[in-house]
Amino acid sequence: MNQFKIAVCFGCLLFCGTLFAQQEFALSGYVQEASSSEKLFGVTLVFNGEIGTTTNAYGFYSVTLPEGEYSLEVGYLGFRTILQDITVSENEKRNFELVEETNQLDEVVVKSNRVTKAITSTEMSVATLKTETIKKIPSVLGEPDLVKSIQLLPGVSSVNEAASGFNVRGGSADQNLVLLDEATLYNASHLFGFFSVFNSDAIKDVKLYKGGIPSVYGGRLSSVLDVKQKEGNAKQFNGLASVGLISAKALVEGPIAKGEGAAGKGSYMVAGRRSYADVFTFLSSEFKDVKAYFYDLNMKANYELNENNRLYLSGYFGRDKFGIKGLVNTFWGNGSGTLRWTSVLSDKVFLQTSGIYSNYDYNLDNLRSGAEFRWKSVINNYNIKPRISWFINGNNTIKAGTDFTYYNFKPGQISPLEGSSVVPETFQENFALETGTYIDYQQKLSDKLSLQYGLRYSTFDRLGKAEVNEYETGNPLTYNAEQDSYIVNPVTGTTSYKSGETIKSYNAFEPRFSMRYLLTDNSSIKGSYNRMNQYLHLISNTTSATPLDVWAPSGRYLKPQSLDQYALGYFKNFKEGAYDLSLEGYYKDIRDVTDFKNGADLLFTESVETEFVQGKGRAYGMELQVNKNDGKLTGWLSYTLARSESKVLGINNNKYYPTNSDQLHELNAVGIYKLNDRWDFGANFVYGSGRPVTYPTGRYSQNGLVLADYSDRNGNRLPAYHRLDISATLNPKSGKNGKWTFGLVNAYGRQNASSIYFSEVGEVNDQEVATGQTQATKLSIFGFPLPSISYEFKF
Amino acid sequence: MKALITTVIFIVTIILFCTSCEVDVTNDLSIANSAPRLVVEGGLERNLNTPVTRQRIRLTTTRDFLNNDETVPLVEDAVVTVTDGNMAYDFSYSGNGVYTNTELIPELNTTYTLTVLWNDEEYEARETLTEVPAFDRVYSEFEEETLITDEGYFAKFDTTDPAGVANFYYHRVARNGAFIIVPDPGNSDVLVLSDEFFDGQKRVGVNPNDEILFALGDEATVQQLGISERYYNYLYEVFVQSSSGGFSFVGNPPPESVRGNVRNMTNSDNRPLGFFYTADVAEATFEITE
Repeated sequence: MNQFKIAVCFGCLLFCGTLFAQQEFALSGYVQEASSSEKLFGVTLVFNGEIGTTTNAYGFYSVTLPEGEYSLEVGYLGFRTILQDITVSENEKRNFELVEETNQLDEVVVKSNRVTKAITSTEMSVATLKTETIKKIPSVLGEPDLVKSIQLLPGVSSVNEAASGFNVRGGSADQNLVLLDEATLYNASHLFGFFSVFNSDAIKDVKLYKGGIPSVYGGRLSSVLDVKQKEGNAKQFNGLASVGLISAKALVEGPIAKGEGAAGKGSYMVAGRRSYADVFTFLSSEFKDVKAYFYDLNMKANYELNENNRLYLSGYFGRDKFGIKGLVNTFWGNGSGTLRWTSVLSDKVFLQTSGIYSNYDYNLDNLRSGAEFRWKSVINNYNIKPRISWFINGNNTIKAGTDFTYYNFKPGQISPLEGSSVVPETFQENFALETGTYIDYQQKLSDKLSLQYGLRYSTFDRLGKAEVNEYETGNPLTYNAEQDSYIVNPVTGTTSYKSGETIKSYNAFEPRFSMRYLLTDNSSIKGSYNRMNQYLHLISNTTSATPLDVWAPSGRYLKPQSLDQYALGYFKNFKEGAYDLSLEGYYKDIRDVTDFKNGADLLFTESVETEFVQGKGRAYGMELQVNKNDGKLTGWLSYTLARSESKVLGINNNKYYPTNSDQLHELNAVGIYKLNDRWDFGANFVYGSGRPVTYPTGRYSQNGLVLADYSDRNGNRLPAYHRLDISATLNPKSGKNGKWTFGLVNAYGRQNASSIYFSEVGEVNDQEVATGQTQATKLSIFGFPLPSISYEFKF
Repeated sequence: MKALITTVIFIVTIILFCTSCEVDVTNDLSIANSAPRLVVEGGLERNLNTPVTRQRIRLTTTRDFLNNDETVPLVEDAVVTVTDGNMAYDFSYSGNGVYTNTELIPELNTTYTLTVLWNDEEYEARETLTEVPAFDRVYSEFEEETLITDEGYFAKFDTTDPAGVANFYYHRVARNGAFIIVPDPGNSDVLVLSDEFFDGQKRVGVNPNDEILFALGDEATVQQLGISERYYNYLYEVFVQSSSGGFSFVGNPPPESVRGNVRNMTNSDNRPLGFFYTADVAEATFEITE
């Protein structure tokens, strides 16, 4: 009933204020980068300093204006603004090409709308990063890393240095929707979390939504990381290659069907990256039997069918391999392919449709003699995402669409290798269909007040064919307060479901709302609310993302997680946009958050419902960020004050406890300094207060081994974390193409505690013995300054 | 097999150590400690090769984790009883926290209940004895060094798993009469086994503990214990915890006390630790030869 009311209210809101009766004409077209024809996303168009619009993800804009003369500004951060006087007297198509700002620092550029978007947009809790910025931020072993870079933003962090997964506003790593050209990635890391899967050369830009998530996105609770690949240069063939300590990369791009024109009918981009064969072996000869490497391939092509219709094809394929001779061999990776068609149906209506296939799989070979086997796990999903955008007029825009996703999980298949006696076994496959139908409405009510609101209706159907266990009490687990532990209830039988038969259905309305009120020309307040539902759960044995992660769909026993987030913010520009400030506060209320029951064991466990329990969570915090956008020194300073807690029956005596990603204080400073045409310097400093950890409260022994007794979950704190990284870039002389980058991570060699662990001293004089002596050990992952060098050249 | 993953993670951890460093911070930390809890260690063993004449159960309490004193806090004034449903056997205190009984002869498929009365609180645990298959053959074998094992002679055996029943095994190895166990990450993979993936199969060349090397002429004793699923799970957790020591890079779920089968019937907040087990033991003793 409540949901029905929301729907009705939404419908009423939607159609008020859309009625206009003036002589108006639509101006529409594309905005692209001048040298490559790369379409630009988020370009601001301002008419007479007032009515504005921004380009969509395909560089398309459409705005409806009353007949008349306008002075138009087309502006985009890092590009020279176009100033033009135009006359609107009929429906018209007009394309713009923007020229990148080069090294002329003292050049006078129009700044007025360069950063006003942060003030005027209804979006809040959003961050965008461009590849150029990511490349200037110092990085581990000189490998520019998108995921590590976004961790320098307020409210984004990671549980430790080797974790490529990231946490947004206290959420867990699986609560992030990671999209690469609209395809969902399930594991965004290479080599156990040291590097992310994104090849910075192939990435155009990245947008992170921490809150105020519009209704076009759904399926994860905490954030959306929307990564777009480069389209490729439509005017000329280009190449880029680089060599670093970890990997070598190459990228080629060029026009398709160029003919005699200045630009081709389309363009392509292909980028490959491969780490050197044995990343670890150079460290020590002890690792001669260890093999570890990764590679990935990014591809994108687009073709203009005609003035109004374009086709895009993009793909990603990445693989990691890690093996130890005679012991173990693993390989895993993501693959995805996206075919998109965009069509300008009329001056005001833009249609995009994507068909996506995405796959994640891992293989683990046990090579120990006598018991050789292969363990294989796969997730396949098929996506169709039609969306229509209707640019009604300068003040009203509607987007609507549906996402269909069909999942096929193959959680495990064990097969013997080399004729071992291991019995083959296949875990039951899981099937599910998720849909999200949405409408999103951007509405400018007055010069000061703008709204963006929408509704998403999500459904999730767990489908057969399946055999589902029935438990004695109806639930897999019963909490026994006397023993303070969960008891697995006996299985009384199974229910069979036919292929395609619905096992369990869930559905939910997810209202989204955000508003912006302009206080002055350069300051505004914003508020937002979003409700999210997550139907897939990551079941991981470690805090960092590893290839052995298992995703489990909601079903009979596992309920979807849901979240409400409320956020409020203040935004201000100083000195004509040279500086801008944002201050945001948020509160999140999470239901059916999943956590492990005490002593959970997830590996090779088919019925995961007996291993974890669901409870509630809350997270709240404040984020302050000051950006410096101009001059020789650019960068930002940010501070986050936050809490993230869960409360689950049977854990921590049924009281709230801090989640793994809880961090009270976080301070980030990022500076990029342009000394002259040739030298750029970058530095970032990170400070974070101690993360939660569980220390033992007692010791005892069993069978001659020392054991620990624990009381409160996450009841202790690691020491505070801080680190300084620096980098220097030597740009080529004019006419030359080579660029050097030097870096130093952890410049002052702080031995930050990645963890502190407690154990029995198990070795004396290189001999393994049980000593009965206990010790506490601090582990630092980069315990000393880590230098790097890389070389990049264009051709 | 599950612990293969532990091995993988352990090796990744070793690799991490190359670019990282470990510092002993034992003396820099002050950690809160809880009040002492009762710890039960021991059980009933049926051994047809070398009959057990004296069944033993040891009672101690927990102490501060970083307390490295030699003295273990003993429980010397408890009343310990085991019943098989018909008969009650009293265990009498024989020093060093150990309570013993010489009359109880464990029998297959019998459920035994342990009762401990101590400090006005009553503790209880229950286990059922299940049969273990005999060894088909025991022998010694020389192996080259690998990344996780040293070069030398190992005691090995062949055995046949009974088909159609779920079996759980625990291996114990003695060198010249002394049983040895070391805190090693491989323990949870090697010392305890479930027949989930080899039900009914003949297994050849089982190395019951790949941390125990022998020299020629040494006397080896190998034991294969048939244990309950619950004790298997318990030992698995014990081996995981004792070798990773709550290492949180590996440890999500966060470190937790290993829950045994002993319950405090009087005051559930005062949770005991440890396990009361029952096991059927197959045993063989032989000399290590070429």
